Parts: sequence; C-alpha cells; structure tokens
Amino acid sequence: MTSLTHTIRPISLRRHLLVGILVPIALFVVVDTYSLYRQALNAVNIAYDRTLLASAKAIGELLEVEGVGDQAIIRAQIPYSALEAFEADNRSRMSYRVSDAKGKWIDGVQDLPQWTGTLPSQGPYAALVDFYDDTLRGDAVRVAVLLQPVASTRGQAMATVQVAETLELRHTLARKILLDTLLRQMLLISVITAVVLVVVHRVTGPVRRLSDSLHQRAEDDLTPLEASDIPREIQPLTDATNQVMQRLQHVLDHQKRFVRDAAHQLRTPLAVLKVQVQSALRGDVAAPLALQEIQVTVDRATALANQMLSLAKVEQVRQMQDFATIDLSEVVRAVALDVSPLIAEKDIDFELVTQPCSIHAHDWMLRELTRNLLHNAVRHTPAGGQLSVRIQPVGDDAQLVVADSGSGISEDMRQRLFQPFATGDTKSGTGLGLTIAREIVQALDGSIQLNNRLQGGKIVGLDACITLPLNNPNS
Amino acid sequence: MHLLLIEDDLALRTALQRSLVRAAMRVDVCGDGALALEAWSTLQPDVVLLDLSLPGKDGLDILQQARKAGLHTPVLILTARGTVGDRILGLNAGADDYLPKPFDLDELEARVRALHRRRAGPTSRDEASEQGVVGTLRYDRDSGAVYHQHQVLDLTPRELALMGALMARPGHAVAKERLFEVVFPGEAQVQYEAIEVVVYRLRKKLVATGVTLMTLRGLGYLLKASA
Repeated sequence: MTSLTHTIRPISLRRHLLVGILVPIALFVVVDTYSLYRQALNAVNIAYDRTLLASAKAIGELLEVEGVGDQAIIRAQIPYSALEAFEADNRSRMSYRVSDAKGKWIDGVQDLPQWTGTLPSQGPYAALVDFYDDTLRGDAVRVAVLLQPVASTRGQAMATVQVAETLELRHTLARKILLDTLLRQMLLISVITAVVLVVVHRVTGPVRRLSDSLHQRAEDDLTPLEASDIPREIQPLTDATNQVMQRLQHVLDHQKRFVRDAAHQLRTPLAVLKVQVQSALRGDVAAPLALQEIQVTVDRATALANQMLSLAKVEQVRQMQDFATIDLSEVVRAVALDVSPLIAEKDIDFELVTQPCSIHAHDWMLRELTRNLLHNAVRHTPAGGQLSVRIQPVGDDAQLVVADSGSGISEDMRQRLFQPFATGDTKSGTGLGLTIAREIVQALDGSIQLNNRLQGGKIVGLDACITLPLNNPNS
Repeated sequence: MHLLLIEDDLALRTALQRSLVRAAMRVDVCGDGALALEAWSTLQPDVVLLDLSLPGKDGLDILQQARKAGLHTPVLILTARGTVGDRILGLNAGADDYLPKPFDLDELEARVRALHRRRAGPTSRDEASEQGVVGTLRYDRDSGAVYHQHQVLDLTPRELALMGALMARPGHAVAKERLFEVVFPGEAQVQYEAIEVVVYRLRKKLVATGVTLMTLRGLGYLLKASA
C-alpha cells in the first residue's frame, strides 16, 4: 500500500492543465498551418498564372501572318521589352517561345521545349490555354501555353505562344507566407501557455501559501487553518483538515490530562511509601508492622500500574481484532471464582444468575470488563451486604447487570464517572476501572450505564448495566 | 536446584538472589545481555530466569539464540512489558513460563519449582502443595483425612471429597459443577441438587471448627476461616 503511493507521483495541476490545453491546440495549429499554407500557395499560383497568361496574350497580339493553312508564315515582331511589364521584380526572369501549328520555332528562346500536351477540355479559362511546370536551362519554370489564332487581311493561322517564368519569386512568397503563418501560430501558443501558467499559478497560490504555513507550524500547533482566501472548490479539504486537527487536539488534550493525572496518582503511593519507610527507619513503628503497611502501599501502586497498562491494552487488543465467539456467562463465572476470596472476606451474600449468551469478543476484554465491574461492586458493598450478577439475552443484546447494595452515586459524580481518576475514593480503587470498562464496551459496540437502585425513595444500591451485541441473534 | 538469573537491575538482582539462595537454590547472576548466552551455556543451569529489557541484547533474542544453540533449559521470563503481544511473543520464542513485574516472591519460587519439577519428571513432589490449610483445618492428601487441631474429622467419603476439592485452593470458591464431578464421579444418574445435601451435612459438621462453608449462589462454594 505504502510502496504504491511512493511510486505514483502526485499529479501537478500546472502540468495537467498545460498538457491538456497545449497538446490539442498544438495539433490544431499544425493542421491549420498546413491548410493555410496550401490555400495561400494556391491563391499565389492562380494570381501569377494569370499574369503569365496575360504576358502570353500580349505576345500573341504582336504576331502577324501571311497566307492561309500550310502556306501561312507567321512573323513575330516582338520588342525586347515586351515582357518587362510583366516581370514582378528582378528575381523572376521571363522568356517566351513562339512556334507555328507544326511546332516550328518562330521567335523567342529556342531552348524552351516545345509544348506537346493536349489542352484541358474545360479549363478555368475560356481561351485555348494551359499551364505546366518545366525546366529551362536547369531552372524550374512555370509555363503558360496559349494557342493563338492569328488573323489579318493577308492571312490566317494558329500560333503557339509559350511564356516561361522562373519560380524563385513564387517560392520566396510561399516561404514568406509559411513563416508568417508559423510566427502567428507560435505567438498564439506562447500567449496560451503564458495565460495558463499565470492562471494556474494564481489559482494554486492559496494552496501553496497554506502548505507553507502548515510546514512552518510548531509541532503541537493544531489551531484551525486560516482559509479565508481559499477557493470554494478547495474549502472542503481545509474544512476536513480542520476537523481532523480538532479531533487530534481533543485526543492530545485527553492524553496530556491522562499523563498528568497518572503521574499524580503514582506520586501518591510513593509519598506514602516514603513516609512509611522513614518512620520505620526512625523507629517510630516496629519494622514488621511498617513492612506490612509498605506491602499494602506497594500493592496499591502495582494495581494502579496494571490498570494503566490494561487501559492501553484495550486499544491494542481492539486493533488486533482476533475476536472469537465466547459465552459471556462462562467468562463471568470464571472471573467470579477468581474474585471469590474478596466476596468471602466481606461475607457478601452473592448470587449469580446466568443464561448462555454468545458474544463476538476478545476473551481478555470480557474478563477485564467483568473483573473491573465485580471489583467495584465488591468494594462498594458493605460487609454482609448483597451482590447479584445477572446475565440474560434481551432482544439482540446480551445484558449483564451487576447490582451491589452500596450507597450508589451522586448526580455530580455520575457526570464524571467514566473519566480517569474521577471517582470519589481513590483510596481503595485505582480510579481507572470504569474508564477501562467503558473503553472495552465501546470497542465491542455495547453500552454501559450506572444507575442508582431506589426502594421507597431511598438508594439501596447501584446497578451497573452493560449491554453487548449478541453473536448472530438471527441464527 | 541451580538457577541462572539474567537481570540488569542491580537492586532486583541482589534481592532476588538473596531470597532464592535462602530458599535453598544455587543462584548465578548475569547483568549483561551480551554475556548472558555464554554464561548460560557454560553454567548449564536447571532453570533460567530471564529479564526481557536488557542492555546489550534483548531478552527475546537471547532466548531464541539459546534455543537455536540447543539449550533446552526451562525459561521463566520476567518482564515489566505486560502486554498481550509480548506474552505471545515470549511463549512462541520458546519460553516456558511468564511472570509480569511486579511479582510475588512466593509466586516466583513456586513457578521456578514447578518448571524444575516438570523437567525432572513427576517423581519429585512438592510438599507444600500436598497440604491445604484453612483456619484450624488441615487436609492431608497422603492420608486423605481432614484434621482439626490434630483431630481427624469424622467425614463420609463424599464429604471428604468435597473438602479435598475446596481445600486445594484455600480461600477460593470452587464451581458447583466441578464439585459435583469430584463428589459424584461418573454418577450421571445422580441429581445435580444432591451436592447441596452433602454441603448441608458438611456445614453442620464444620460448625464447631470455626470454618464456615459459604455458598455463592449460582456459582459454587468456598471455605472461609472465621476471624
């Protein structure tokens, strides 16, 4: 369990948001850039092709013809600067070739290969036009071909006009468009990244401040977290933390009080012991008598230490959870036999009435519970008084009632009954018996109540009533 | 009987050694966990008394190593760690008995003798446990008779069986079911209440002795010496 939590790194909100937002956007940008580039390139090509066509037409206008059909002779009187108007700048060079219907060169650049294709049946232009890519003296060129009918008063013929333009400008423009687009998209991504970073930083700021203040806390500082600037979404977390701290504070207070009280309780028999030893040393009391008194004091301190250990053991046993099915009556019977010397010593009129009651519990817990209750009852029953123990199933519970004939408890004491060292007579008891009993009952999901037993308006004794859930009451 | 006492507290070690020697035992002591194992294997005692919280080495480690090394000496663990976990651990690790501190000297002596006896076999018997004494009454198991100030009490076999059971643990009550088994052994047809008749008769015979036979209703009976 713990090794698992060690290997899995906690997610970072910042990384989560960055990845979650930037990856889809980056993918979109790549696709978008590509399509933008294609579109721009297409538009550029169409525009340049149009110019190319215009230049071809301009050349076509300058042709003259003499004769008809095969005898027609086409003449080109094309000035050197005819194409200058169409050259966008000095980076693109244009050249032309004029040939007759049979492909015979008439004018222009002889190197430009003769066009041998067929015209598209339905091109974007109404004229007899086509465009294609070729190479001229090692340079890639775009060529516009125009089948120009040449007519004059002296004759009529078809001429083929080819105009080639080098591609540098187009490439330069395309590159420029691509770079522009990329730049803009990079800018977009940077802005988004920056925004996400800033927002995440601002949103997680209160959490960081909170953890800083928690780290800087003193070891025993369990005051509630200051959470006024915490976002609403994180508020449940701080609320829960505060609740845990409150509970811890409670437990801590409880334990501090217990340690303080326990130390005090242990000091008392030690003080008694010291006086007893010193009075014996000074000869105030005969040694054997002093030793007997010392023995009693030591027994008292021992009982206290044992009870404190028992209290700690309840929690330990509860966590071990090796419970078994036990008959409460058998346990009470065994404990009563153990306690019998005390009962006999006070000549108590004892009665045990039992019915079998199966309980899911730890044997030690039931023994300790019963032992504490019986010890209390014997202690508070006057010599020759009555003490009865009854065990019976009541509904889904086993009920154990230990009824003594003592003086009962005052309303004031009733409030503090289960607190450590709260009971009236710490002289005879350790002050932990009922605390232990309650801890055990709670560990077994039961209940414990101490009630005065009244007869004619007078207290005639105390009933300690414990209910514990029966094991499988239905089966 | 030869004892090895492994205990680091000097005061406790000295006091225990003094008392056990007076109880006719030979006692060697060791106050350091690191030296304990060596002392154990060299001295080959009859019983080892082992404290758990030792400087140098933990008592349970010593015990485990000793058992591994083939030392089968009975071990009685003495410790202030009085929790369930320790108890289970102690007995699993090969201890034979366990006595939480603080303990009674008589109790310690009895447990040590019991451990020794268990090892020596059932031949050597302890005299103290053979006799029960309540007030002026004494039960002698060998002769099977109850004496009141050196006078044998006139009891029927069933009454005698009842007395025997009650005096086995003086001062403690004995469950009625257990008494029934002792007084009417194997007599299933006898009614459960018959035990009360025996008790009633016995109680009358005890009147003069100052010992009363007390009833704890629903639980059992016990013998009590009147003050």
